[in-house]
Amino acid sequence: MKQPSPRALLGKLFGGSAKGIAVEKSLITGYAQVGGKAVCVIGTCNGTYIGNEAALVLAAHVIDCIERHPRTPIVMLVDSAGQEPNRLDEMLGLASYFGHLLSCLEVARRKGHKLITIATGKAIGGAFICYGMFADRIYALDSASVGLMPIAAMSAVTKIPAAVLQKLSKTMPSLEFGAEPFALLGGVEEVWPSKGDTQARLAKAIAAASADDNRAALGKKRGGRKLALDIRNRVLAESAK
Amino acid sequence: MTGTSLFHEQTARQRIAAVVDAGSFVELLPPPERLTSPYLAQLGIPVSFDDGIVIGKAKIGGKKLYIAAQVGQFVGGAVGEIHGAKLTGLFKAAARDRVPCALVIESGGVRLHEGSAGEIAITETMRAIFECRAKKVPTIAVIGSDIGAYGGIGILSTCCDFRVMTEHGRLGISGPIVIEKWMGKKAYDSSNRALVWKTSGGKTKYLLGDADALVHDDAGAVREAIGKLLAKSSPVTLKNAKARQAALAKRLKRFGKTENPDDVWKGMGVRDIAAASLASGPEFVALAKTGRK
Amino acid sequence: MEKFAKAFPSKPLKNTAGKPWALAGVVGSGNLEVLVERGSRPSDAMECHIETSIPGYKASWLAALADFAHHYPAGGTKVTINDQGAPPVLVTLRLRQAYDHLTKGEK
Repeated sequence: MKQPSPRALLGKLFGGSAKGIAVEKSLITGYAQVGGKAVCVIGTCNGTYIGNEAALVLAAHVIDCIERHPRTPIVMLVDSAGQEPNRLDEMLGLASYFGHLLSCLEVARRKGHKLITIATGKAIGGAFICYGMFADRIYALDSASVGLMPIAAMSAVTKIPAAVLQKLSKTMPSLEFGAEPFALLGGVEEVWPSKGDTQARLAKAIAAASADDNRAALGKKRGGRKLALDIRNRVLAESAK
Repeated sequence: MTGTSLFHEQTARQRIAAVVDAGSFVELLPPPERLTSPYLAQLGIPVSFDDGIVIGKAKIGGKKLYIAAQVGQFVGGAVGEIHGAKLTGLFKAAARDRVPCALVIESGGVRLHEGSAGEIAITETMRAIFECRAKKVPTIAVIGSDIGAYGGIGILSTCCDFRVMTEHGRLGISGPIVIEKWMGKKAYDSSNRALVWKTSGGKTKYLLGDADALVHDDAGAVREAIGKLLAKSSPVTLKNAKARQAALAKRLKRFGKTENPDDVWKGMGVRDIAAASLASGPEFVALAKTGRK
Repeated sequence: MEKFAKAFPSKPLKNTAGKPWALAGVVGSGNLEVLVERGSRPSDAMECHIETSIPGYKASWLAALADFAHHYPAGGTKVTINDQGAPPVLVTLRLRQAYDHLTKGEK
């Protein structure tokens, strides 16, 4: 599906208030309004790669929001191919830079900032893990590419024929790539039609957000991830004995 | 089973047995429960009774802890739905009971054969780790195997309060083979073991401050390091986040264009690179002491 | 994957106390895991369930297990194996390790 330009997308999500959002080196930082209320915005666009520098830029903006705009909801937009395999970033501790970004978001959560993610483009593997999947509630546009990896890539790495994976994905949505199957697993709360009124949906999502992690329960209810919740609960029950 | 005591050569079960007080380990959801991966079964790949992770309660020096160890031999210690749910449950139990939790890592990250389920599971475990940290319940990642902590598990390890590493342990996201494929052999030769370990190994991570302890490749040393951390925590506060932001920015500014890891070592105060390369655990720490301050 | 199960005659397990189960080995290339569990009552059969990634070796598996059941009093136990292409010598070693853990406690 053809992706809208970053500016067009921001306009769609935040209307005229999108002018308060900067897009630099495919990184999104700024403040805008949703339903007349202020929000902080961080994110990626253009399917960019992210590394140590990008993590610091996004983390700095989260810190700025905590300090200057207490309890303002943070909207995270995800359109990134993830980390570019790079020896220098790895040597300096890419995982630590991402962990730091997550810690900053956790500080925000504890200080009463609601965290909402919208997967707008690529939300694949590490790109989604390093900030977007850490939100209170996670949404995806139906045009977004959400999942661990497409079946062709999974087949190439695991050496399992793509046809076999394709067939199994009919009964195991975890193997299928896309926002809808990801929602069946509980990984996405709701898939939004790109053509719909995303501003109204976002305002509603922010109002409804709570910090409990409901994804395993959703995955069980929707039937895409049947085991996770029960096994977690069994560990909790057995350990209490 | 091989009669060795080298930590990196031990299996997950041997590591737990050697690290905790003798006889104190009680496994949760043990092998007779037969919680095996339906994904692997469907794909015709052998399953394992513990799905590649051993979890339970134990004691170190008489103090209670929850402990988990990943089985690197089983699909690279990778995280699938069951594996991840066991781990999430364990950290949630630790938060509930206010008992420290240690994770002995040996994993390349998400189990590709289970698609997005493992990816979500890793982020659920991250949320559970931060539940512990909100209650000042210590969370400790131990990284001391050849497989190391990579992909989503590399990121997850950095969510814990502390990381205990041995020089065998490696911490990162993309492994050397992936980077070599991407950048070319000239930029990163994955068969150059010295370079690989100086890029992602315990010594470099310790120097930069991403590992909190660097110990000998020995279960006794790992046990001692975990024991020391059981009463500590690293609070998730704005003040700490700001200090970390400054430190990581400084690191990037100083070394962002540094190609040779030896120059990072020198920059961190290691004077004798050859001696430091040969030194192990505490001896390396002693050589590095000035630099890390 | 190939799956099969069979019970082999074996003298009843001697001591009835001790651990309810023991595990030896790991599932990995050229390796296997062996889970031995005590049954609830004495019996003169060792019950075996095998899953292996290498089909076509059923006869040698059955021979190895029959031999083990003959040499060790393992009646009343249930042996379950997940195999990823372990050589026969390793199969025998893991069986003995799991049995030792079960009957003698920690090694």
